[in-house]
Amino acid sequence: MDLSRKQYFAGLLFVLPALAIFLLFFYLPILQSFYYSTMRWDGMGKPAYIGLDNFRYLWEDPRMKNGLLNSLKVVAFGIVVQNPLALTAAVLLNRKFRTKAWIRTSFYLPVVISLVVASVVWGQLLQYEGFINQLLRQIGLDAIAEDWLGTIRTAFPTIIALSQWQAIGYCAVIYLAGLQAIPPDMYEAAEMEGAEGFKLFRYVTFPLLMPSVSIVMFLTVVGGLKLFELPYLLTNGGPGTSSYTLFMAIYSSAFREGNYGYAIAGSVVLTAMIIIVSTIQLRITRRREVEL
Amino acid sequence: MKRKQATLTTEILLLIASFLFLFPVLYLLMMSFKHPGIFYKPLKFPDRLYLDYYRQTLNVELLRSLNNTVLVTIGGLGLTILVASMAGYMLSRRKERLFRWTFFLIVTGLIIPSIGALIPLFKLMVHLQLINTRTALVLLYTASHIPFATFLYSAFTKSVPRELEEAAHIDGCGMFRMYWSIIFPLLLPATGTFILTNVYGLWNDFLTPLIFLNSPEKMTLMPMIVRYMFNEQSINMGPVFAISVLAATPLVVLFVFTQKYMLKGLVVGSVKG
Repeated sequence: MDLSRKQYFAGLLFVLPALAIFLLFFYLPILQSFYYSTMRWDGMGKPAYIGLDNFRYLWEDPRMKNGLLNSLKVVAFGIVVQNPLALTAAVLLNRKFRTKAWIRTSFYLPVVISLVVASVVWGQLLQYEGFINQLLRQIGLDAIAEDWLGTIRTAFPTIIALSQWQAIGYCAVIYLAGLQAIPPDMYEAAEMEGAEGFKLFRYVTFPLLMPSVSIVMFLTVVGGLKLFELPYLLTNGGPGTSSYTLFMAIYSSAFREGNYGYAIAGSVVLTAMIIIVSTIQLRITRRREVEL
Repeated sequence: MKRKQATLTTEILLLIASFLFLFPVLYLLMMSFKHPGIFYKPLKFPDRLYLDYYRQTLNVELLRSLNNTVLVTIGGLGLTILVASMAGYMLSRRKERLFRWTFFLIVTGLIIPSIGALIPLFKLMVHLQLINTRTALVLLYTASHIPFATFLYSAFTKSVPRELEEAAHIDGCGMFRMYWSIIFPLLLPATGTFILTNVYGLWNDFLTPLIFLNSPEKMTLMPMIVRYMFNEQSINMGPVFAISVLAATPLVVLFVFTQKYMLKGLVVGSVKG
């Protein structure tokens, strides 16, 4: 065997272990999920083909419907509120000030705290006799005090608000990295042309930051649709089905009720949604990216 | 970039915001020291250092979970680095069609969510008799991190000069030895970036052990905290807070000491990507 062929096969050997693990534990199960989504299957016996019935049942299931609606709310909130907030935070954090190290650390610190630990703390803070309500009563705002996680009207909005505790810092640090990658001479040139203040941001910073916007938006969409731990641990989907997310509904059907075929149909819908929404979003933001 | 000096008002506003962000962490710490008399009086501060919750939780079970968490975190990161660094390096070097396609296939994993695969994966693990093993977790973490790690290593490989490989080749060095003794050490920044951006997700993972593990001997920290939370909710949450503090501390310490590198890694990552 000549040298270049030998190198070619050695090259394949370098790639093979990663490819094998990836195909076996990532692609194979995803492909299988399309097959099982058309089956009635309890996980044990032989799956029975039922066509698209599983998908039809999804529309009649309040948990799935509420979950889907809630998941879309999270995504909308992420794009409309969380993103601008994170960008503002990053722009401010990029300035010079004395307490910079302290402020940056405290904004990002929540990100390294696990969702389980976050649920332990927030669950306690938000109880009816908990810190937040007691504080509200103390300063005379009894009327606002609420059983935040136990009332249909407030449970899910509260969970969305809680997700911001970690999401803002997480997104802000990506924006911050993007801001620091912008070469300073771009600003000097723009200032020489007479741009200043908000114009500087609108016409220089923002277009150059577009790659970061793409990444953050993508992570926001995917993260929002995958929301699971907070509602699972804080409200268990309740009261009623008011704080179910699509992923939680899938989890319950599969691992609590053993409706595997049905749950897989739900996860096919979720996967399709993530791919469709993130493709559209990447299309829109990618088009606005500029090359340096 | 030319940094603007922040006004005093901005700084004060940010300081207030930063305190609000830190507050839940401080509250967590505070609750773990509040003795039962004032535990359910939320506005009371701990009046003395009450360590009983820690004493109650520092037991064999906690050490076992800690050990499991360390094992699966190191195992997952280590196996990913082992296989994805080799793949990323080679996929960046070779331009033949087969390699280009493989790279594309692996990178699609960055966009396709693994959530849809969860239930078939569960059956697959049962089939392979890997259910309720830490090996299953290591394999799953590796599979889900391969796309990002491969992408990262292939981006960093572009900055490694090819002349090194040619020189090593003339010296009669085999491919694998050449890779591990020359290239891999040069890819250390990629390894650092990968570890610092992914160690938190693995350590803090709750969903995977929830689904794939069921015996207490194998349990990692996060599901253990949840079990404590739902078992002892009616009596006293104190121990739950103590374990939460213990489980979060290693990451907080790691973060405080490495945050500078993490931001730098993100900058490098965004430029190369």
